[in-house]
Amino acid sequence: MIRMFRSLDWILLASLLSLAVLGMIVLYAAVHQGDTGLWHKQAIFWAVGMAVFGALCFLPLRLLGLACWPMFGIALLLLALVPIIGDVHMGARRWLDLGVASLQPSEIMKWALIFVLANWFASREARGLIEIGAPLLMAAVPAGLIIIQPDLGTTLVLLFAATAMIIAAGLPWRLLFLAVAGGIASLPVLWHFMHDYQKQRVLTLLDPQSDPLGAGYHVIQSTIAIGSGGLFGKGFLHGTQDRLHFLPEQHTDFIFSVLAEEGGFIAVALLLILYALLISRILFIGHRAHNRFASLLCIGIAAIFTLYITVNIGMVSGLFPVVGLPLPFISYGGSALVTMLAALGLVMRVAIESQDAIPWQRPGSPLA
Amino acid sequence: MRNKPLEVRHRFDVRMLFFYAAIPLLLGLLLFQIMRLQWFEHDKYMLQSDQNRLNLVPILPVRGEITDVHGKKLAINRIAYRVSLVPERIDKLDDTLNKLAGMLAWTPAKRALIHKRVKRTRRPDRPVLLDDKLQWAQVSPLAARLHHLPGVDVTAGSYRLYPYANLTSHLIGYLSLARESDIDAGFLPTEFIGRTGVEKSFETVLHGHPGHQREEVDARGRRVAVVNRTPPVMGEQIQLALDVDVQQAASDALGDRTGAVVVLDVNTGGVIAMLSKPGYDTNRFITGLESQQWQSWLNNPEKPLLNRATQAAYPPASTFKLVTGLAGLKRGIRLARGSTTCPGYLKLADRKLHCWKHWGHGKVSLHKALVQSCDVYFYKLGDQLGMAAISDAASDWGLGEKTHIALPPEARGIIPTHSPYMMAAIKNSHSKRKKWFRGETMITAIGQGSLTATPLQIARLAAAIANGGKILKPQLLANRAADVLHQADVKPGDLLKIQQAMRDVVRNPHGTAHRALFHAAWTAAGKTGTAQVVKIYRGNDKNISKEELLRRHKDHAWFMGYAPFKHPQIAIAVFVEHGGHGGSAAAPVAAAIIEAMAKKQVTAMVQSQ
Repeated sequence: MIRMFRSLDWILLASLLSLAVLGMIVLYAAVHQGDTGLWHKQAIFWAVGMAVFGALCFLPLRLLGLACWPMFGIALLLLALVPIIGDVHMGARRWLDLGVASLQPSEIMKWALIFVLANWFASREARGLIEIGAPLLMAAVPAGLIIIQPDLGTTLVLLFAATAMIIAAGLPWRLLFLAVAGGIASLPVLWHFMHDYQKQRVLTLLDPQSDPLGAGYHVIQSTIAIGSGGLFGKGFLHGTQDRLHFLPEQHTDFIFSVLAEEGGFIAVALLLILYALLISRILFIGHRAHNRFASLLCIGIAAIFTLYITVNIGMVSGLFPVVGLPLPFISYGGSALVTMLAALGLVMRVAIESQDAIPWQRPGSPLA
Repeated sequence: MRNKPLEVRHRFDVRMLFFYAAIPLLLGLLLFQIMRLQWFEHDKYMLQSDQNRLNLVPILPVRGEITDVHGKKLAINRIAYRVSLVPERIDKLDDTLNKLAGMLAWTPAKRALIHKRVKRTRRPDRPVLLDDKLQWAQVSPLAARLHHLPGVDVTAGSYRLYPYANLTSHLIGYLSLARESDIDAGFLPTEFIGRTGVEKSFETVLHGHPGHQREEVDARGRRVAVVNRTPPVMGEQIQLALDVDVQQAASDALGDRTGAVVVLDVNTGGVIAMLSKPGYDTNRFITGLESQQWQSWLNNPEKPLLNRATQAAYPPASTFKLVTGLAGLKRGIRLARGSTTCPGYLKLADRKLHCWKHWGHGKVSLHKALVQSCDVYFYKLGDQLGMAAISDAASDWGLGEKTHIALPPEARGIIPTHSPYMMAAIKNSHSKRKKWFRGETMITAIGQGSLTATPLQIARLAAAIANGGKILKPQLLANRAADVLHQADVKPGDLLKIQQAMRDVVRNPHGTAHRALFHAAWTAAGKTGTAQVVKIYRGNDKNISKEELLRRHKDHAWFMGYAPFKHPQIAIAVFVEHGGHGGSAAAPVAAAIIEAMAKKQVTAMVQSQ
């Protein structure tokens, strides 16, 4: 136990706790005029999430390696059931009613895919038809099921994480370039299959002023909030854009604009530094992990965080279309927070297991 | 693993380097975008943020009230509530309208109309007026539930109310909402502007200046706080010289007849009464007049929108004999100081000009000619004077020119030879008529023919005769000093002769106004007039009955005069369209006015003791 405590990764923990504090402060600013109950709820979610985080520090990664395939299978099954028996919320069929609670199978699939891909590449490199083809299929099937729900955000997460892991697993560069070129070429096809509201979002991004009170409203108001924050911000609880409710969903997907408006560029820089620290640390833990499964697991998790952060901030600042992804550790929301903390728990477990161990296939490593 | 372990590890290390590099690149891209917004474009967004949250809300001034000389309110402001709705903030229009219909007791027809109005609006971000002129009792249940009805708003405002709407319609006038041209001139679309009468003439005084307040608003446009406030400048109250009781008495005496009455203060020119009949209900203009009502007013043959006291000129008939008489005295015409015989007609070439008294007046002097209104005497006097002298006198006594009362537009009336239009008309009408005929001068001398004057001009003429020849500017406001436009060129002795003749019109049993005014509370002096209607109605208006046609061929009745005789206070002009004889139709109205004035003075004296 003491050995374990000693082997905790303090940099990871410190950046996580800093984000926790920052997140709670920003959330307070976002909800202090409205439903402050949300702030207390989020505090409870943090407590629950940290408990899960702590518990997963004790989960041997071997068990995860064994459990990942059944988990992936179940997730796939549930995902297949969604179009048949799922509930419709706001025009998308994403939820399964389990009687006690609702469940988004796509949320499970996100993590299950990382686990199976890590497991798949634990003993092979992404070189060869089957070695690349099988994981592509593993990602493409759930991605196809999710995009028809439709849920563009989660689909992106899935594909981005899978791509990162395949690259990490040694995908030849020329294949990567071919894939990128092919991807760009297939954009018009993708456009054809997109829903009208998704197309609208892309169009709105290109010209938010075209529909200032409709689809462009969020982007216009959030960029005004960010831009008016300036270098030092308007001061804690002194933002006007959010205080006067010009920003809908300011405590969830658009919470970044509250931070940027009240804290200014200083706060934005602090947040991005904390994120950079966290993600690089995850990558670092993966880099020096004692086996390939652990390494790829960390890379998958880091990819998911990176995508969340990039897409969320990019969307709020008008760089990308509006895609509903939360800002990790800052946005209000229980299930997202708990699953992210669970993922960090796994990373911490990797750090603990790799403590004093030699990275895989380095001279001196058992696998070498 | 088919590949060599070390090679695999090396490849992995390289890929990790790729990732390590990708993180700062991605986050750097974000940071650059934020920097762009927060540094380079900060000013622009700061401005937008302020525009977002600050709303400039105009505060309308309260319009000045209008009272009569005794402080009776002629135009006041009433608080009323209006309900409006911003369509774009409404999710379920039908639900909202149903709730409002229940609370405001709308009929299904009204509800349907309102629904249409909301649907039709081209600016869904602007409030649409649903209901107006509501009292607090009606809107209070709605006001209490406003937060359950986002997008619906109840606002207080004032509307103009005219307690004597029909009685004062032409004098006070009415307001209407700012038009495009007013908005261009800087008025707000919600402001009311005076359109006619005093409301128009004293617009700048009555209106005031709107203030504004800068309000911090939230995304739904609801006020959160007031940042700063510039109060409006309220409109000033106006007190008119008008005495609404006298106006009422004149109106009662005139009854349903069409006509006009003007009562002026002899010394100051203050307008004590100015009535034009028929009137119209100026309160109908407040919420935007129904176009049907407006059309019916426009098409009414009685022309209720016309202010007959100032905007219509009629032949002054025998009242003009005073001017002819004054001209005769001034020019030293022998006839004016002597006498002639009236056989009931005057022969002019092959024509016969008749006196109204067909058997004749016998021997007539100027005095008798005025008292009994002999036409033949004035035919002769006019003939001896010539048209130029008559025209000069008419001008000198204020005819043919604007009185400059603050109620534009105003008719000038016509002095035939002084009117270039008239002369042009004469020259163009018939090829044979290239000159002014002698007979026309004679007709003009008795106030007929193409000579016309407005009732206001005739009242001013009466005042001038009473006050020694001062042609006054009629003044609408109370307690103003006299504004003498010019002094008529008249000798006091000559004027006295005319005044005495006017007195005898009332005092002498043969006087034309004796029956109506001899027993009046004040000693009155005056002159009646009966204008022949030469206008022949042709058959283009088929729905006119025979009786109506007969009525329309009846003469116009005039009375002008002043009272009390020794110390004149008021000058009166009464004009009754198709009223018949001046002595029987118009003079009794003057009697009623004198009665009302005297009663007021007695009441005031009793109260002051």
